[in-house]
Formats: sequence, structure tokens, C-alpha cells
Amino acid sequence: MNAKIKLENHDAQEIKYTTCYMCACRCGIKVTMEGNKVRFIQGNRNHPTNQGVLCAKGSAGIMKQYSTAKLTQPLMRKPGTERGEGIYEPISWDQALDVLTDRLEEIRATDPSKLAYFTGRDQMQALTGLWAQQFGTPNWAAHGGFCSVNMAAAGLYSIGFSFWEFGAPDWDYAKYFIMWGVAEDHSSNPIKIGLEKLKRKGGKFVTVNPVRTGYSAIADEWLPVKPGMDGLLAMSMVHVLLKHEKFDYEFLVRYTNASWLVVQSPGQKGDGLFLRDENDHPLIWDIEKEAFKNGIDGDIAPALFGEFVAPDGRRVKTVMSLMVERYLDPRYAPENVALECGLPAESIERIALEMAHVAFKETVELPIEWTDVWGRKHDKVVGRPVAMYAMRGIAAHSNGFHSCRAIHMIQMLLGALDAPGNFRARAPYPKPIPPHQLPENNIDIINAPNTPLSRPPLGFPTRPEDLVIDEFGNPLRIDKAFSWEIPLSSHGMMHMVITNAVNHDPYAIDTLILFMANMAWNSTMNTANVQDMLRAKDPDEPGLYKIPFLVVIDAFHSEMTNFADLILPDTTYLERYDTISLLDRPISEPDAAADAIRHPLVTPDRDVRPWQEVMVELASRLKFPAFTKPDGTRKFSGYKDFIVNFERSPGIGFLAGWRGKDGTKSLKGEPNPNQWEKYIENESFFAHHWPDNQKYMRYANKDYLEVAADVGFVGKVEPIIMQFYSEPLQKFRLAGQGLYDGPQPNNQVDRERLVKYFDPLPMWYEPLEQQRVDADEYPFFALTQRPMFMYHSWDSQNVWLRQIMAQNYMYMNARKAAEMGIKDFDWIWVESHNGKIRCQVKTMEGTQENTIWTWNAIGKQKGAWGLKENASEATKGFLLNHLISELLPEKAGERRVTNSDPVTGQAAWFDLRVKLWKAAPGETGSWPQFDALKKLPGDEYDRPDVLRYDARTHEKN
Amino acid sequence: MHPAFSVIFFTVASGAGFGLISLLFIADFFKLGGGFNQDQLVAGGLMAMALVVFGLLSSTFHLANPKNAWRAFSRFRTSWLSREGVFAVVFMPLALIYLVSIIFDAPQWLRVSSGFLTAVMAWITVFSTGMIYACLKTIRQWNTPLVPANYLALGYASGSLLLLLGAVVAGLDTTPYIAMSALIMAIAAVLKAIYYFWIRSPGLSPTINTATGLTRAKVKLLDTGHTHGTFLTQEFGFQIARQQASLLKIVVFVLGFIVPGLMLVWVFNQESVQTAAIVAVLAGIVGAAVERWLFFAEARHVVNLYHGAQRC
Amino acid sequence: MRLGLVIDLDVCVGCHACAIACKEWNASGTIGPLSDYQPYGAEPSGVWFNRIRHYEMDEYPNNKTINFPMSCMHCEDADCVTVCPTGASYKRAEDGIVLIDQDKCMGCNYCSWACPYGARELDRSSGTMKKCTLCVDRIYDQNLPVEERQPSCVLTCPAHARMFGDFDDPDSAVSRTVRERGGYPLMPELNYNPTNQYLPPRRKPVIPVDTQPKGGLKESIKQFANKLVRR
Repeated sequence: MNAKIKLENHDAQEIKYTTCYMCACRCGIKVTMEGNKVRFIQGNRNHPTNQGVLCAKGSAGIMKQYSTAKLTQPLMRKPGTERGEGIYEPISWDQALDVLTDRLEEIRATDPSKLAYFTGRDQMQALTGLWAQQFGTPNWAAHGGFCSVNMAAAGLYSIGFSFWEFGAPDWDYAKYFIMWGVAEDHSSNPIKIGLEKLKRKGGKFVTVNPVRTGYSAIADEWLPVKPGMDGLLAMSMVHVLLKHEKFDYEFLVRYTNASWLVVQSPGQKGDGLFLRDENDHPLIWDIEKEAFKNGIDGDIAPALFGEFVAPDGRRVKTVMSLMVERYLDPRYAPENVALECGLPAESIERIALEMAHVAFKETVELPIEWTDVWGRKHDKVVGRPVAMYAMRGIAAHSNGFHSCRAIHMIQMLLGALDAPGNFRARAPYPKPIPPHQLPENNIDIINAPNTPLSRPPLGFPTRPEDLVIDEFGNPLRIDKAFSWEIPLSSHGMMHMVITNAVNHDPYAIDTLILFMANMAWNSTMNTANVQDMLRAKDPDEPGLYKIPFLVVIDAFHSEMTNFADLILPDTTYLERYDTISLLDRPISEPDAAADAIRHPLVTPDRDVRPWQEVMVELASRLKFPAFTKPDGTRKFSGYKDFIVNFERSPGIGFLAGWRGKDGTKSLKGEPNPNQWEKYIENESFFAHHWPDNQKYMRYANKDYLEVAADVGFVGKVEPIIMQFYSEPLQKFRLAGQGLYDGPQPNNQVDRERLVKYFDPLPMWYEPLEQQRVDADEYPFFALTQRPMFMYHSWDSQNVWLRQIMAQNYMYMNARKAAEMGIKDFDWIWVESHNGKIRCQVKTMEGTQENTIWTWNAIGKQKGAWGLKENASEATKGFLLNHLISELLPEKAGERRVTNSDPVTGQAAWFDLRVKLWKAAPGETGSWPQFDALKKLPGDEYDRPDVLRYDARTHEKN
Repeated sequence: MHPAFSVIFFTVASGAGFGLISLLFIADFFKLGGGFNQDQLVAGGLMAMALVVFGLLSSTFHLANPKNAWRAFSRFRTSWLSREGVFAVVFMPLALIYLVSIIFDAPQWLRVSSGFLTAVMAWITVFSTGMIYACLKTIRQWNTPLVPANYLALGYASGSLLLLLGAVVAGLDTTPYIAMSALIMAIAAVLKAIYYFWIRSPGLSPTINTATGLTRAKVKLLDTGHTHGTFLTQEFGFQIARQQASLLKIVVFVLGFIVPGLMLVWVFNQESVQTAAIVAVLAGIVGAAVERWLFFAEARHVVNLYHGAQRC
Repeated sequence: MRLGLVIDLDVCVGCHACAIACKEWNASGTIGPLSDYQPYGAEPSGVWFNRIRHYEMDEYPNNKTINFPMSCMHCEDADCVTVCPTGASYKRAEDGIVLIDQDKCMGCNYCSWACPYGARELDRSSGTMKKCTLCVDRIYDQNLPVEERQPSCVLTCPAHARMFGDFDDPDSAVSRTVRERGGYPLMPELNYNPTNQYLPPRRKPVIPVDTQPKGGLKESIKQFANKLVRR
């Protein structure tokens, strides 16, 4: 006999829509509330990002909401206790804000650069950046520098959009997909949705990754490349494509700078720059008119190959000729890179030719009429259905910028960009190459008290004049971004902030504000030493710390909060208003420009405030011009008011939907006082679907560019010509060579780096750390990735997710382990040039033989994250971070240099080399271990031995 | 399989109890060795029932929700566990009638028929206990007629040793009891030996390849999807080293069969008869307990294939 | 009706989304709550109806990683039901869903012994056995939108590696997919006749390559002729 099935008590329930924040994917969620309790979180079927599906993190959001790690009230380090001891006293919000306001007021009125404000995996950089700009400090950035700036910069200096948020594979039409170095986590739901689509339709999926888990598990072909060799692999594929003449001639001529002419005058000023006319237009050789013509014009028939003599007598060559010369060199032949890449030459050649076959023989043609930017009408769009995606495996190497550019080079050669079936742009991209935004570098403005910066702190330098340095060439930013050491560090270099601030190099700061960044644990390199640095006192100023005042804003009791002088507790994503703005990191899809909001579903049961709200409050108290009326009173009552009424330029605000007084305008329009309500009515997101004629070839699509220019995505309607050859890089190289008419570095180290690494064409070099570490002594590459069910899940280890993984292992190739006499669950020591750790091994087949890897951020400090001290995350889990140095190994006669990509400042997490050996009998448990975090005042959470979560208000079992 | 103490105690004790009462009836019916007197029969019968009752009670200790235990009789048609319960319950009044008919000198037909039915019901109950395990297709080491045969043989062997002790205490002629014990123990030993021989390679067994359907190549577990134990690993993950199992098998034979066998010889030779009988009982029961522990420990549930076992 | 799931091993990326969605739904569902043991302690564990295991097939570098979700197979000949002494375990005649009546279960674990798939887990707090209900409290809930009347694991699966449907209907999507893709049941040799089916990893597509070998490499630049292509 059937039992009675109890159904939901719908009368007690309420359905609400908001945006997930368990990772940076930002899916739409449909949340069923029962009273103030979360009953069910599911994907929103109508949302462009996740189309109804939801990952493990998204569903586990319930357990985040009920985490015992939630901070409950503002806390101040107890007077008389040392930083890092973790002894706090509660203070009121009023007191906390007064303390902070006084301090910030003083800094702003004297030396605004003494405030450094860095944010972690937040998605509100438009606001935090505006705040920093208004404060007047150049020392602001988010975590992009240690995350994926190589991808962003490579894309934005090459094709006008990039991997991650600025582009996406066109899963609907793709027939071939190569995934480069994508850990099993990135762009969580869209990639999973897409891979299934691709495979269902019979497309081929190739993965380039030293580890075969997650996405790579379902690949049709696995290329277990050695870490750091991806660029070489890509260039070898370029070699094959060129050798077999597999490139899209028309595409190169029309949409890239392959035909632009490059001056060949080695040793002289101007060498390697484009031949330009008097109006600074790059020139091409027109084979019809037999004359030099403006390479941006439409009415040209450029020579793709060739060497010419310019009117001024200088020799010039086309970019394509330079590329052919370089990449057809036997150096890049598959058989000559096979050993270095760890892949058979046959595979390299075959994959390149497979791509070519699909690109040119299986073309997708859609009968869509569109007009190009030069005014010509086309009756169809042609897609080369080879899509790519690349991420951290490419980015987190010190050669990652060039490696990523090499991948874009393949895309350009195949003509496989922003068309059906390949890699497409997501609004507000594509943008001019690079985007027309320069970092503030006017020293007078930077030093001026109580004065906002005239430009944002971050941007895209195009020449040495754009660097943020003083007259002597010294960095003006605490992280040394945009200095000679790291010229194109467009996302800043958060991983250097603590080290530099503690070393007072380039100068001392007063206050460091860290928002949502675990810089004392898994988000920093060199964890143990960074913890010591945070505790370091200033010998010159007894009683003062090297970083005198440290403010941490977080919703959870992380390892970082333990070092704060002032802790400001944030809300969870279900408790606050929030915007996911087109001015920020977009959630657009190729077919739609989109943004979204969050709104409170749960009433906080603690004395916490959304950081957004607090920032608006501080901005008002500090009287930032953008937040203050002419009469000196505050302009915005709070965050909601700010979002509705702030306009970056007339009609352009944080939210693009339901603008205009009556809410009828999209993308641009006057502020709408009911904008939040309209979003909430419409499931908390807005999508502007592009008409068919604006969906493709947007770098040269007139109709699209007109809209883009109108709504501020681009400055004006002009073709976005893709850059195989990057002139900005060459300008920096010339500066390194002493051949630049403008600022030049005076330090030998900087000069050498510019000459060596600022190649205007993609190049490959051995990762910097590896150039200084003996490969025989340290035979393994060591990597990390986050598991899919925890990726970007910053409070990680929630009650459900931690059951899946509460300890990480060091994975290694089974055969290799057997050779070394290492078995599953053995404890081993792993040592790098920077330190050593003890951890437990698991063997597997799917790991490249010279590589070991582990899951990142599973290891926790005892007492952190609301867990008990005996949690296996703390006793057996470990971090690889201890082995990774933020500085390159010392070299005689050289100052210490950051362990980052020399072009972009991307933290080189994956350049690590290690050795390993079996631990002695009895040596068990992870090492190093740290003191346990103390319970915070206000932490009165019950931590029962059995948890039985139940949202129901009615009858229970 | 995880060897649960309550289940080991239950099966060993109730097996011995059912064995004892069955053999007691035979001894009574044939007046073996001169026959037990009334009091002795009642004492033996009560002891057997106590073993059965305590065994059954202990079996409820492993229930997570004993308040529903009464429902266990409801699926007689399909469930051997239910059948065992029902038979055990039917056994009780029969055994009581038998004992009462002894106490009150009831007519011989009543005493014999109730005794006979008691013995049959005891046999059926022990058989059912064996079938609880033997019917599981998920555990190759159990899914064999040898299992109920073993349960019966060992239960009766323990019972026979207890009965022998009774005969010694009662001062009966022990010869028929020794003969009975020797015979049952010999059968039990042979059955157990066959079983141990058989489970070393119990025919075609599922592998990780057949369990996952991934038969093209070698399959290895990479991760179970949970760091620490689950109900499944706790219940089914128990693993015993081959060497340890072999050692314990020797213990089973030494304690379960050889020591009691030797003691039978002692009793037969009239040397320290009482001590010998007591040692025989204790050794036999400890041997049976070790056998039962091993019975669980060596059983490999097929779910282990999903947790990385190559073969079950 | 014979309701059940199809699991596509070709596209399952092993993200555990289904497992958590299941936990989330059922924690407050008809069979919930589902206990979590040592939720903040040394060795966290709990009651789950859907677990994802990960396997590797073959050896480096020919290895393939297979992610393998498993939940109740809702067998036609479910021994877990026949062995249950209390009648708590039952299979519904109308749709084949195997369920456990929490009011009858005595927590003897016997059904879990009979299940080869590890589908049943004891909740030590309630003392009762629990398992996948195929979200019976969703799929018939008339108050949910029609497209959401699916098990939560199916609803959430980002790779669409899970399908839900009626295997009795030869024209249903699940029946068709199983036919077309060579779906198979797990451990058929036990004759439990499991309803859930697994789709094997596909063979990789073969893509022709066209070569155009040229002579010497560096010199071949001279062989590239400019074509007349107007922008």
C-alpha cells in the first residue's frame, strides 16, 4: 500500500528571483522561501547565463546562508593585543564608521596614495573603482592580477574581446572546440551547457590540459601538455597552418592588421613601428593602385605579403610576412616542439589540420544580411565553426600573455572570431584595441589632497608615456602596476600589495582595505611568510605595524579577518541589493547584452551591512564630489538611490534596463526611479537581444557599432582591426632598447625585460621562475585547480560541499609514482625553492607525467570558516601556496622582481617547480600547521554533531 | 560487510538455543543415555529458550528504529527476515507447550507432537536465518545453499555440545551424546570447509568493469565523491586482509571443531568429564562466534565495486 | 508507467550539481530532513540519495576520466522491496517508483544489503532508511509549472546529462535515447531489471585532414602569392 506523499505547502511559500553569487558565473536563480528560510534554490529558466540549470554551489547556497562562519557585528582588534592573535572587541557600526572616516579623511587630506584599497572576487569593480578614483588614490585594483589578467590583456590587445567574461564560444554552431588550460571550474554553467550541446551535435572537443578531470573528462581528445608549454604548442599549430596554407586570406585582409606595414630599421628609432601617414594612419601596400594606402580604409586591396620601400627610404614588411618568417621557422615545427610540449608531433599537426578542415570545409553560412563598417552590404554571415576557450592554465604562467596571444593568432588565421560557430564577443565588447582607457598617471593629481583622480586607476597603456611612474621612473602605485617592471598590468597586482607595503617599496602606506580577499591564506602566494609580514612591526616607528591599519570586509570568518584591525561584516548575497553591471564584469551572452541585480530575500539576523551601502556612506561622509551635492549635502541616500541616479555619462548608469523616466528605454536613458522594482518584476535581470544583423562580426558591423557608440560601449563608429602585431609592445621594447622618443627605463633589469619579453608578435619563452630553478633538482611542475563544486565559492567548505571534499590530496601520475615507490595515501614532502609542505598522495592516470597537482583552498587554518579545530581541512588539508613565492628567486646583482608575467603582472602561480619524497614513517598530517583562529565575539552559533536542515514550517518527518 | 556484534550474538546464541532444544527433544524421545529427568529437561529447555530470546532481543539492538520492529512480521510472503521472525514467534508457544507438557506430565502424544513441532520449527527458523543471507544476490559469498546449511550445522553443533554438558551434569551415559556431537560437528566442519574452499573463488563474480558497464579497458576508481565515510562505506566497506582471514579460519577450526572434538575424547575417556564438557561448550561457542564474525567480514557486497574494488 | 532516469556518461562532467540539488530538495521534502553528521567537525558525512563517483578507464596517456552519478535505479524486480520485513519498502504499481514508508521502517538495513547500487542510506537520527524518491513530491505537484515537474537532479544538471521519463512508453524521449545511444543498465546479471539506464561515452568523431605540403619552410614565403582581395 502506498504511503501518503506529502507535497509542498505552497501557501507558506513565496517565489523570488535573484542572482547567484556562489561564484563569478552569476546565474539567475529562482528561490523558494518558506518564511525567512530558504526552501529551494534552482536555476532560472529564463536567465541568459544558466537557462534554468544550476551547479552544485548554487544549490548549496542554502548552506552558505546558514553558515556558522558568518560574521555578526563590526569588530575592532582589542587594544593591547597583537595583530594576528585574533582577539577582538565588538564595536557599533557608528563607532566603526567614525574611526574609519577619521582615518580616511586624514589620508585624503594629506597623501591619498597612503590608502590602498584592493578587492577580491567581487563583482562590483565599477563601484569600488569609482570610489577609489573619487578618493584620489591610484592604489586600487581587484583580484584580476592574480587571476586572469593575461587572458584579458592578451585578448584586449589582440582581438578587442577576450576569454572569460568578454567572449564565449558559439555553442549553437560550433563543430570543433579546443579548450586550453581551463581548470574544471571556469564559467561554470555556460560551459557545461555548451559542451553538451557541442557533443550532442557531433562536434569534436579537444582539451589541452596536464590534468584530465572535469570538463576534460568528457573531451574526445586529451592533449596532456606540460605546464607552461601551451604557447609553444599554439605556435607550432600556427606553423602547421602556415605550412599548409590554411588561413583565411579574406579575413586577414579585411579584419586584421596582417597587411599593415612594419618599419624594418633595426637599431634605429621607429624600428618595428607601423609605417604611418601624416594623419598617423597605418599604411598598407595597395596592389591595385600600387600605392601606400590607409590601412583602416575600406576601399583598399592590400598586399598581405611583401617587402616594400617606404617613400622615406625605410624598408617595410607586412605583418604577415613577419609572421611567416617567424612561425615557419623549424623551431616551431611539431617535431621540434614535441619533446618540450610532451605531446606527439603527429597530434600537434593533426589537430591543427583538423581545425583547418572544420574551419574551411565545414563552414557555417547564415542568411543574415548585414552591413560592414565601411558601408558594404553582405547577404550572409560566414562562420568558421572552430571555437576556443582558454583560462587559468594559460594565464597563470609568466609567459601566459604571449601564449594567449598565440591562441588568438590561431583564431585570427582561421578567421574564427565573432561569427557563427566560433568565439564570439559579449557586450560591451569588442572594444578598440586596446580599449581607450588609460590609468591615471598625472602625479600632481595623484598627490593632490582631497582631489579625485581624473581617470580611473586602471587602464590599458599603449606607450611608455602612459606608465604610472614618477619623473625618475619609480612606480606611483603600491603594487608597482604600470611601472617599468610590469608595464601593461591592466588589472593591478594584488598579489604584490602586502609584500610591497611591508617593504615600504616603493613607499609606505597607512591603511589597507581588503574586501572579500583571503590574502592571508589561499589567495596569496607564500602564505606563511605573508602572515608574518602582516604581523611585522616597523622598527622606525615602534608600536606601529609596517601596514599600520588593516581593514577587512568580509561576510565570513576567513583566515584574513584574523589579521584585521577593523572587521566590517558584510551581508550574504541573499540579504542585499547588488548590481551586476555592464560597466563592470558583464554577464552578457553573445546574442544579448545583459545585466542583473540582487535584492534581499532573507532578513539578516545579525548586525551586518552590505559593503555597497557602507561605501556609499563613506563616500558621502568623505564628501566625494560624485556623491555630494553642490551644497555639500549627500547626493544619494544609499546604495539603491546611487544605482538609480548615478550617471557615468548622460543616460548611462549602472543598470541598462528600464531606463528613462517611464522605464521604456534600454541601454541608455534618464534615470528611472522605479528601476529596481522593474528589475525585481522581471526576475532580476535585463537582456537586450541583438537583432540578427548585429550579432556577428561586430568588430566591423556598422549597425552594431552604431548602437555600441550610442550607448557608450565604444567611443565612435570605427572598425576594430585585430592586432596580430602589437605596436604598443614594440614601443615598450624600443624604450628598453633605448630607441624610444619618450620615457625610457634607467634600470638594467627593466631594460632587459622589455627587450626580451615585449615582442610585438606572440613568442614563447621558458617561464621566468623556471629559468632560475634547476629542473634536475626540482623535476615536477606543480599546479592547483578548484573543484567544480567549490570554484569561486569563497566561503567554500559549507556543510554540504565539504562532505564531497574535506581534504585535498596531491595527485600524481600513477606510473611515475610507482617508479618512485609511492602509493595512494602515502604522506610525502614537497619542496620548492621557497619552502616545503607535507601532504598526502593519490595517484591517477589522468595527470601528465611531470606534473603534480592538488585542489586549491581545501586546506583551512584551524578554527577558520566556522569549522571545528579538528576539521580534516585543517589537519590533513593543505595549501600549495606555501611553495609559491611572490618574488622570483634572487639573482646576483638584481633587485627582487615579481613572480609575474613581465608584460601584464599576472601572478605566475603555475610556474612552480618542485621535488618530492616519501615522508618518514610516523610523519603524518599536513604541514605546516598554524595556530587556531579564536572564536569571535558574537559567534554564538550552535555547531551540533548532527544537522538536520529543514525549511518547512509544516509537518515534518 | 561490517560485522555487527548484536547480529553475531543473535545468530550464535539463537542458533545454539534452537539446536539445543531440537536435540533435547530427540534425547527425550529416545531417552538417550538413560534419558533426562523432568527437571533436567525443563532446565535444558528453558536454557535453550533463553538463548533464543536473548538472541532475538539482541537482534533488535541493531535496529535503528526498534519501535517499528513489530511490523517485521508483515512480509512473510517475500522476506526471509520476516519469515524468521514469524517462525521464531511460532516456535515460542510450541516450545512452551512442550515444556509445560513435560512439567505437568501431559499425555505422551501431546508431549511428543509438541516436542516434534518445536524441533521442526527450530530447524525452520535457523534455516530462515541462513536464508536471510543466502538470498542476497548482492553478496556472492552468501548467495549459496551452503549458508543455511552452515547455519543449521553450526547451530546444532553448539546445541549438541550444550546437550552433552547437560548429560554430563545429569550423570547420564554420555556415549550417545558424544556420538551425536561428533557426528554433527563432523558435518559442520565438512560444510564449513567446503564453504571456505568455495568462497576463495565463488564462480563468476561481478567486476568493476561489469558494475560500471565500462568494459573496454581497465577501470580504476579516482574518487568516491565524499572524503570521509558514508553509510555505505561503514556498512559495506569492511575489509579483512586475506592473511588475517586465513588465520581466523584456523581459529574457527581449532576452537569450533578440534578442541570440542578433543574434549569429546576426554569425556569419552572419563577424564575430568565436567571440565572437558565445559571447555567443549565454550570453545564451540567462541569458535562459532569467530566463524560468524568471519562470515560477515569476508562477505564482499557488490557496492564495493563502485568504491574501487576490482572484483567482489 | 515506469519512471526512471537516463544518465549520459558521455557528457557528465562530474560537477555534483545533481547531488546537491537532490540534497537541497529532499532536505525539506517529503522524506526530509536528511541528517548531516559532524557537519563542522573532523569527518563530515551525511545522508545523500545521489552520489557521483569518478573513474579512470585505461592507462596514461590513453586514459579517460568517467564521472558516474548513481542513485536509486527503481528496479522492476527490486529485491530491496521483497526483502523488507516490515513492508516499509514498496514499489508503486502506477509508476514503478520505489519508496520507503518512513512510518513503517524499523531501520534494519536489510534492504540496503539487497541493493547492489548503494542507493539506500540510513538516517541515523530518524532511524529510518531513506532513498531517492524520484522527487515524487515534485513530479506530481500540480502547483509547480509543468516543465518543473521533474526530479530536481534532472532540473539542475548543467550538462543535461540526466533525463527523466517513462520507459514503458517506447516513444518517450528516454526510451528513444536509450535505443539510439545503446543505453545499458548496471549489473544486469543480478536480474533486478533496473529502470535507470546509462549512456556510454561516444566514440570520438573522425575529422579528415587535408594537407598541402610545400617545399622548404623558410623559403616557402616566396611561394605565397598575394591575392587580390579588396577589403
